[in-house]
Amino acid sequence: MMKHLLKLTHPIHLVGGVTLWGIWFVAIYGGLSVACSVAPPAAEQDTLTGINVVIGILTLVVAGLLLWLAWASVGAARKTSLRRECYFAFTSAGVYLFSAMGTLFVGIPVIFLPPCL
Amino acid sequence: MSDTENASLSPEARELHDGLDRVWGNPRGLRALTVVNHTTVGLRFIITGAVFFLIGGLLAMLIRTQLAFPDQEFMSHETYNQVFTMHGTVMMFLFAIPILEGLAIYMIPKMIGARDLVCPRLTAFGYWCYLFGGIILTSSLLLEMAPASGWFMYTPLSSGEYSPGRGSDFWLLGITFVEISALSAGVELVVSILRTRTQGMALHKMPLFAWYILAMALMIVVGFPPLILGSILLELERATGMPFFDVSGGGDPVLWAHLFWLFGHPEVYIIFLPGAGIVSTLIPVFAGRPIVGYGWVVAAVIIMGFVSFGLWVHHMFTLGIPQLALAFFSAASMLVAIPTAIQIFVWLSTLWLGRPVMKLPMLWIVGFLVIFVLGGLTGVMLALVPFNWQVHDTHFVVAHMHYVLVGGMLFPLMAALYYWLPQVSGRMPSERLGRWSFWLIFLGFNTTFLVMHWTGLLGMRRRVFTYDADMGWGLYNLISSVGGFMMAAGIALLLLDIALHFRFGKKASQNPWNADGLEWAMPKPPTAYNFVSLPAIETRHPLWEDPELPRTIEEGRHGLANIDHGRRETWGTDPLTGKLRETIHLSGNSWLPLLAALALAVVCISLLVRIYPLAAVATVVSIVILLHWSWVNGAHPKMAPDATVAPGEPPLHSRTMNGPGVWTMSVSHLANGSLFLSLLFGWFYLWTVAPEWQMPATSPLSMPMLVAAGGALTLGTLWLVKLVRRLRQHDDTGLSGGLYFAAALGALQSVLLGVVIWQADLAPTETAHDATLLVALLYVLIHALLGGLLCLLQGLRVGYGYVSAEVPYEPVVVLRLWNYNVVVYWILFVAIWGIPTLLGGG
Amino acid sequence: MLRWVLGGGVLLPVVSIVALLLLGAPTGRGMLPLPLPGGEEVELIEVVGHQWWWEVRYPGDEDQNDVVTANHLVMPAGEPVDFRLISADVIHAFWIPRLGGKRDMVPGRHSTIRLEADAPGVFGAQCAEFCGAQHTNMLLQVEAVERDEFDAWLAERRTPPEQVEDHDQAREAFGEHCASCHRVEGLPDEFAVGGREYDMEGPDLSDIGSRPTLGAGVLPMEEGAIAYWLQHHQTLKPGNRMPPHDHIDIETLENIGAWLETLEP
Repeated sequence: MMKHLLKLTHPIHLVGGVTLWGIWFVAIYGGLSVACSVAPPAAEQDTLTGINVVIGILTLVVAGLLLWLAWASVGAARKTSLRRECYFAFTSAGVYLFSAMGTLFVGIPVIFLPPCL
Repeated sequence: MSDTENASLSPEARELHDGLDRVWGNPRGLRALTVVNHTTVGLRFIITGAVFFLIGGLLAMLIRTQLAFPDQEFMSHETYNQVFTMHGTVMMFLFAIPILEGLAIYMIPKMIGARDLVCPRLTAFGYWCYLFGGIILTSSLLLEMAPASGWFMYTPLSSGEYSPGRGSDFWLLGITFVEISALSAGVELVVSILRTRTQGMALHKMPLFAWYILAMALMIVVGFPPLILGSILLELERATGMPFFDVSGGGDPVLWAHLFWLFGHPEVYIIFLPGAGIVSTLIPVFAGRPIVGYGWVVAAVIIMGFVSFGLWVHHMFTLGIPQLALAFFSAASMLVAIPTAIQIFVWLSTLWLGRPVMKLPMLWIVGFLVIFVLGGLTGVMLALVPFNWQVHDTHFVVAHMHYVLVGGMLFPLMAALYYWLPQVSGRMPSERLGRWSFWLIFLGFNTTFLVMHWTGLLGMRRRVFTYDADMGWGLYNLISSVGGFMMAAGIALLLLDIALHFRFGKKASQNPWNADGLEWAMPKPPTAYNFVSLPAIETRHPLWEDPELPRTIEEGRHGLANIDHGRRETWGTDPLTGKLRETIHLSGNSWLPLLAALALAVVCISLLVRIYPLAAVATVVSIVILLHWSWVNGAHPKMAPDATVAPGEPPLHSRTMNGPGVWTMSVSHLANGSLFLSLLFGWFYLWTVAPEWQMPATSPLSMPMLVAAGGALTLGTLWLVKLVRRLRQHDDTGLSGGLYFAAALGALQSVLLGVVIWQADLAPTETAHDATLLVALLYVLIHALLGGLLCLLQGLRVGYGYVSAEVPYEPVVVLRLWNYNVVVYWILFVAIWGIPTLLGGG
Repeated sequence: MLRWVLGGGVLLPVVSIVALLLLGAPTGRGMLPLPLPGGEEVELIEVVGHQWWWEVRYPGDEDQNDVVTANHLVMPAGEPVDFRLISADVIHAFWIPRLGGKRDMVPGRHSTIRLEADAPGVFGAQCAEFCGAQHTNMLLQVEAVERDEFDAWLAERRTPPEQVEDHDQAREAFGEHCASCHRVEGLPDEFAVGGREYDMEGPDLSDIGSRPTLGAGVLPMEEGAIAYWLQHHQTLKPGNRMPPHDHIDIETLENIGAWLETLEP
């Protein structure tokens, strides 16, 4: 019963991209807060800290995954013959693409700012 | 229904109308209090919201009078602080959200071709909670005990120590009461939109307005619980001294800020989305062409709905949170510009490609576009942290916020008012008076708030009750005040226009704006049952493609055109494809919603005056009423006096296993889960962040008892799963015994949890650690009791024949609760016993 | 039509927000209390928010006492200064509009904001987060002065005041009525009738005579102003935490006021 939810033509994927984005967002904000209260790096280290690097890598991985999903949704939309499914897959692809770009965009500040100040 | 059209009906059709009137009609006199119909209750919401708008507006006028000149002594600082707090509170909680809910409650069934919302009694209950909560809250103004800590009630200022009066209690209890109504409307709108669209209205063919309301309702469901939790915790702190937000006891005031803005930011979008929905509905009508890029709008709405939850910290940029974290929220806040811009350009291109007619509603839409774009631009400015640090808490922010809220909500609402007024009254409003009031409000608004940006940039803080003449802000403030009164005059003119139109307005034609939506296929003024027969709709623009629809509906040539069974019926359809699945039969008028809300009002007032025994009694009474409500349900003769279905029609939903009740339960658990996650967030937040938090070396909770309680719960759930599986196979042998057994397991779990609490010997008024544990344990205890109690009632219902293999509906709903309980219980176990034990104390 | 939606709805906001973020993030960096590139010490001033006044502390070290004053902040100009912000009761916010952004003062935690006055001058400062009844009248006068002037100002306050033998009557009355909340550097113990256990903290009055205003910006400091304030403070700033002085005769209040005005280093 759950299997049809995984097909990229199902409307549940309309919210898939932003959900992944949301989980990533909570993870980096929560992780940053916990890391800063448990083991804050010295101010001298500036942006070259483990925290920045981990957040940076996580950002790239999640953005990559979202990009792939966007691309796969376009593929699914091309393959299906049902107008409804095609419509949902294309819209989901747009939302996945937005989420991927949004992830990259929100991740940019790790380049400029030290984590805990 | 209009007489002229009725005259041409055949005798059979007229008989059908009369029958529907008998079953659906509203009683008069005192019994009007029992009405549950969405049209009537929706109007009540809207009118009550308008009254609160006038109260909030009056408070705004007082503020502008006080600030019109420097060193004014029109009001004392005490009164002023109450006035600005209540202005924000009334406008946000008692006007903006309820009136939009009212609009959605009124419009949604009509737009998706249904006869009512899925839980009519819940609609009425929500209204009474709103009304009573609103009255309690505003009465504090008359008693001169109004809250005075600002509408976001930052603690410790709002705590017992720094606000010793009753003001904060009025706020916390009153708002929580009002929010019951928001949540109930949210839940039922979600389920109605997903499950009661008329035959053939697939998800991608439903009106855009329904998409917007779906997003808004889901946001209410997820976004309100954090504030409800925060309010409960703060009220507990004030009433009993549990130090959730008190640093010395291991709490943290910043937790309140998080919980408040976790709600508060999505709330802005909860208010904006219906406004945008109105715009997306009206622009195509007045441009005379379908909207450009339906899919773009849907995607933008979804993105907004989600991303707006990632912005809450942008109200807390100055709280001393690390700048990198602020930068994440800053970037996320800027992201919202994209879905907003998409919608704006969709609207503009629709206008560009169509032939716009500048009728009155369109004037308001243009006003909206101008004001909202300006508010959006200052919004992007505010998302920038360094700029935000400069203007935060100044009149610049006040101006921005009013541009967004008045622009994004009030102007579309006025457009909606003029657009749908003929649908409600059957008469057309006056173009001339309407234009006067538009220009007064539009110019008055801009005079007030455009200047206010400047006042803020000059350094004038918000919430000051006066200012020194030397500061040189006098002229700007005077201009703002003049503008404010101009706007008030415009509102007065608008009210006059509406009042006059009921008497003098021209009769409206069937489809006065040549709109495409189903709501214009109804009789005018609307009948309680909306549609005599429910049409199959395969298009996004039913009335443009079939202008004859109103007549064929009226003649009963479509679905559900039979009333001999005496049931209130509407279609239940597949959420995705719109295929028919069941016939939903709805509750008729009932005293229960009013009684339940009255009992809760007594709870609220007795907590306010701190007469706790009375509160306990009233709580029991309200639980009894609510359980009785759940009793009169499903196969109860009041719900389905005649359970036979015409051949070829889908089965009654109470005879299926996946009816709307199951969906309602699931969506409610979305809200419940959001509350639980907020609690979990509070636990971990205080643990990691609160400066004086103390973790005991070993957990005070008894692990064997906790596991035993969880075992009883898990066993009970598995047991219910088995019962439901057998019901699915049409086997109900030993059903009542099985349900009683599950009830016993629920009782066992409750007893064991009680022992855990008793053995732990917590000191909840001493440390935030113990206080949070206690609240978490009480949360699961309440759920355990509820799970057991509902199984017990189900067992009894088997004896009455309300639950059986023929009527297998309700155990499925109850199972959802147990499933939720199991998941939540074990997560909580890991969080409050497992992780602390693993990491050790300290 | 797609061109419109793509160009206006996607491209336009994307370009603007990317530009904003790339400009904004480095700007924010400049306001961080990072170590200076040259490794110089940054002057640290501690500001404590109270309902409804400001306590300003210049931390000393082993050899030096803290210098404590109220509602008057003197800072060196032409160099960055770190302000360490604390609250004694509710949430306040510290804001010198002419020097930069504001920062909240949250009970139980401290946060640091770095500001710099380019040139000497007098600036207004105010509490920006609503903090209750007299939020409006929670003002602070900030003076940025040249570095050596600042050092001299601080040194003056670090040297113990000379014992003044007159005003005994006033000091005795102060000890009886005021000393349970207010500190005055060098007030002999025999005058402090209520002992030195502060019931609640009122402003430190050791250099009150040198401050520009009274009551956190309510009155300018002039001759007789303190005595006037002591008689009418609940009308001048209703709701402030100092109890009314109706039970004390006017002459005593005038004496106390006259003595307090002499208190400057």
